[in-house]
Amino acid sequence: MLTKRQNLMEVIKGGNPDRFVNQYEFMDLIMEAPMDLPLAPAPGTRVKNKWGITFDWPADQIGSFPMHDEEHKALKDITDWKNQVKAPSVFYTDEEWAAAEAHAKSVDRNEKFVTAFCAPGIFEMTHHLMSMEDALMALYEEPEAMKELIGYVVDYELAYAKEVVKHIHPDALFHHDDWGSQISSFISPEMFDEFIVPAYKKVYGFWKANGIELIIHHSDSYAANLVPFMIEMGIDIWQGVMTTNNVPELIKKYGEKITFMGDIDSGRVDFPGWTREKIYADTKKACEECGKLYFIPCLSQGLNISSFPGVYEATSDVIDQLSREMF
Amino acid sequence: MSKIEEVKAKVEAGKSKLVPGLVQEALDEGSAPGEILQAMVDSMGVVGDKFSSGEIFVPEMLIAAKAMSKGVEVLKPLMAGDGSASLGTCVIGTVAGDLHDIGKNLVSMMIESAGFDMVDLGVDVPADTFVSAVKDNDNVKIVACSGLLTTTMPALKEAVATVKAACPDVKVIVGGAPVTPEYAAEVGADGYAPDAGSAAVKAKELATA
Repeated sequence: MLTKRQNLMEVIKGGNPDRFVNQYEFMDLIMEAPMDLPLAPAPGTRVKNKWGITFDWPADQIGSFPMHDEEHKALKDITDWKNQVKAPSVFYTDEEWAAAEAHAKSVDRNEKFVTAFCAPGIFEMTHHLMSMEDALMALYEEPEAMKELIGYVVDYELAYAKEVVKHIHPDALFHHDDWGSQISSFISPEMFDEFIVPAYKKVYGFWKANGIELIIHHSDSYAANLVPFMIEMGIDIWQGVMTTNNVPELIKKYGEKITFMGDIDSGRVDFPGWTREKIYADTKKACEECGKLYFIPCLSQGLNISSFPGVYEATSDVIDQLSREMF
Repeated sequence: MSKIEEVKAKVEAGKSKLVPGLVQEALDEGSAPGEILQAMVDSMGVVGDKFSSGEIFVPEMLIAAKAMSKGVEVLKPLMAGDGSASLGTCVIGTVAGDLHDIGKNLVSMMIESAGFDMVDLGVDVPADTFVSAVKDNDNVKIVACSGLLTTTMPALKEAVATVKAACPDVKVIVGGAPVTPEYAAEVGADGYAPDAGSAAVKAKELATA
């Protein structure tokens, strides 16, 4: 029996996996690494992060949101971004790194990838700072200022990446950046190529030049029109790919260059009245249509969790069952 | 190209700095304010169709709407009290338990561009608040309810039922990622739209039926 890591490599290289890769099983995510997460920590909390972005998680909601009313918007005028945006330090004490280093050392790298986690993404950072509407309009109205801001975020991420590499020597990176709604990309492929692709070529190029073998990018959205750019950036696995992308078609077209991880939409199966039968139906359809190579069945959720207790575990159990039925 | 044609073209291209001047030039040439407004509404109809078909994306729609609003600012003083320019009022909001506002904002912008006066209730809106807004505002023709989460589908259903029970003459349209035409019909909505461009078309269709 192949290890989880070996089985993953067989899937993405078009070899001979002996079962489905089961969701996030091949990643050992080092979430203890000190970082500035883009969220409030729990229902009923509100925090301002080190970039000055306020995140609010109302008690009755399933997640937190950046706040963009006039009082809370961190960047009010893109042309003045140099005065209004200040990146936090990427340096943390040895004590702050200790838990992450211990976790990374404990991982059997023959079994799993030691995986660094990065969020928010570069595009997300622009709209967290200034709101989605302002950020998207600025791409047209103040393109040079937007390129400068994106460059500043890239420099921050490169500096942070250097620290992560130094402390935990990851061999995989799990990186968030949502690039679309469920039915379309937020921006056109041309605009994506102009603003976002150069940024990620730098960032992912750096990670790959520093020991990262595998880049897994999360965007739980439609982004089928951006797949050629994902390949160009160096993404090995697109996690979060939703059914609206026609994943079987993408696998046929691009499978040898990029692997697709998802095709089980969390929105369809992860809700208070969830059932194993519904998860089984959606997962079976995904596995049958997408096949055994260049595909990893997974909830579209951007971490190895679910919004409602038991859904992630039930999905893993279903995938194990389908491996027994189909391999 | 006539000035009105230029206004249309520049609204569609999202040239918000040029549109106000062109609107003024069209007025100076003798075009009626209502005629210029209609030209811009038509432009936004084209923008909405292009968005629905995937030909353009959110930024293009946003800058077109901004260009139109800049043009409307020039016309507003000339059209004050001219009720015939409006298709009525549309109350819009994201239903209770749901904080997603981007899709709702795009829909609001496109419905406004189609010629409605908008009352935007924001996000996490209880069903009763939609009803209060209908009663507190003049000439409400449409209530638009948005929901992005599967978990807030029951709140969407409640919002539709509450508005329909309290205000039977008002048309209710629904939308959001998990909403389907079948679901919209099942909960008693008068209309469904899959995206912002289609929402404007549907709102206009229901308000003028």
